[in-house]
Amino acid sequence: MLSGLRLLASLKFTLLGMVLLGLGAAASYGNPVDVSVWVLIVPLALLALNLSAAIITNPRINRQPGLLIFHVCLLATVLLAGVGRLTHLDAHLELAQNDSFHKDALMEVNKGPWHIGNLDAVSFIQGPYTVDYAAGLQRGLTHSTVYLPGPDGGVVTRDVGDDRPLVLERYRFYTTHNKGFAPILTWLPIQGAPITGHINMPSYPLFEYKQDNQWTPPGSEETIKFWLQLQTGMTLEQPWVLDGRNSTGTLVVTIGDRREELQVGEEVQLEQGRLRYEALTTWMGYRVFYDPTIQWLFWVTIIGVLGLTHFFWIKLNLKPWMDEVDAAPLANGDEGRA
Amino acid sequence: MNGMAAEQPWLWAGLAAYLLATLVAMWGVSPRSVNSPLVTSRGHEKLVLGFILLGVVLLTVAIIARWDRIGHGPWISLFELLMSQMWSLGLIFAFLYWRLPGLRPSAVIVLPVMWILGSWVLTLEPDVSHFPATYYNVWKWAHVGVGKVFLALLLAGVGLGGVMILRTTERGRIWFRAMPVDAIIDKLAWRLMMLALVFDSLMLIAGAVWAQDAWGRYWAWDSLETSAFLTWIFLAIGLHVRLSYRIKPWVSGAIIIGVFIMAFSTYFGTPYLSPSAHKGVV
Repeated sequence: MLSGLRLLASLKFTLLGMVLLGLGAAASYGNPVDVSVWVLIVPLALLALNLSAAIITNPRINRQPGLLIFHVCLLATVLLAGVGRLTHLDAHLELAQNDSFHKDALMEVNKGPWHIGNLDAVSFIQGPYTVDYAAGLQRGLTHSTVYLPGPDGGVVTRDVGDDRPLVLERYRFYTTHNKGFAPILTWLPIQGAPITGHINMPSYPLFEYKQDNQWTPPGSEETIKFWLQLQTGMTLEQPWVLDGRNSTGTLVVTIGDRREELQVGEEVQLEQGRLRYEALTTWMGYRVFYDPTIQWLFWVTIIGVLGLTHFFWIKLNLKPWMDEVDAAPLANGDEGRA
Repeated sequence: MNGMAAEQPWLWAGLAAYLLATLVAMWGVSPRSVNSPLVTSRGHEKLVLGFILLGVVLLTVAIIARWDRIGHGPWISLFELLMSQMWSLGLIFAFLYWRLPGLRPSAVIVLPVMWILGSWVLTLEPDVSHFPATYYNVWKWAHVGVGKVFLALLLAGVGLGGVMILRTTERGRIWFRAMPVDAIIDKLAWRLMMLALVFDSLMLIAGAVWAQDAWGRYWAWDSLETSAFLTWIFLAIGLHVRLSYRIKPWVSGAIIIGVFIMAFSTYFGTPYLSPSAHKGVV
């Protein structure tokens, strides 16, 4: 049993695992779809086994506290990263101003088989946002306002950005470059109740040249095409702030050969009902990330590095660093080992 | 680019100071200067240290002048990155040069490596760079700071590794006659590598925290992350190889130089070969 563990704890086995991990890392560059995750899992599992055996059997590791802490933390890091992948969630989300978050709005959801987060408890409402642009249309900071239910029924306001996530129930919401405008429309059918909603136009200013979309009213077979002519004050040569509150837009509505230009408050009569352009609003794209291990990973890696530092500190103090005195030639051999 | 940017005269002056340090260091190891009073009194080492520090001061002024001109620190363009690295490598190597007299002759290897950066920066335009939203994060300071120490320790290791390799030749043995035997150099070199592993690990951790808040994930195998991880694993392999086998000094030196080449490519190649998130492209 012990001899088997010693074999498993071999440093040569460690080297093999590390070389395989290096190859796996190189193959994983850019997360190619045709490369299996096993190129990382197999070497990591081998290294975890090797490390566990070494921690138990290798006195060079288990009798030196710093080295022991480092290797245990390394093992914990591998295990936590694995658990993190099994429980994570990655997704995208588009929320128009005044819309509430609902988990059904998540898009491109990618989650681990053990994901058991509490998305139902996540609640916030999208507010207005601004995005700073430097000259040359280079994106700077995003300030997205969101409203959360506060204590005693109040409302708490938060400022969210690309680098300032909204963290709710361990879900982290980051703004992205994907954001734009959305005309709010009311469909007043000849029969039935009116419907109010918004049409999200493509990302702005990335797709400034094609702000179009289409919609088919319920009970109708006629598709309505929309084109939004925006006035946002966008400048290429000067810094600019994208702010939906300072923007206006003319909505061009095309039904078959008919073309109508609508300002806010105007409406167009169609065969099945009337369509009113109520207002212009904005939508913000978020990246949603969930991984319950990240705080643990951080502290485990920090403790591991502290352990390594402790070990090296002792090593470095065993003999004085080379100075005038020990610059004299020494005999070769194990003395030279770090 | 019209006219001269405010930082350029200071940059050139800093590079000139590093050049003087290189020339004095080379003169110091030359067999012709063996009986020179300046060499026997080790006064030339004070000159080398003085010129390196002068270069650091001049580069500090260059960085401040650029910061003032464009409104942000040297984080983004290759021009800024090279200038900043020349500053930190010079500063940390000057400290090691001062504290570890045994490694001083290895400056004739270290300083020319820095000159590769110096020559490179002279070919680049000091254009104004855009400061992306993701660079406002405070973890950037920790990530970049420990990364600078990591690269400087590797560079000092390269100097010692180069000495062990060059000493396989007669000329190398003459040049580095003032240095201790290979066993001591090897021990010192790998102590520097151990410290480099600590700082490399801290760089990856700080980078992961920054990536989490800047890009919404702590690790994504993008070009720079993959390259940085490979550098870490190369360094870990090097340390384990040295623990497992009795390797010759020149092999030891070759391993250190190999790790440095990997790190050098990670710093100055990978971020500029792909539209990586690290350039703020999101």
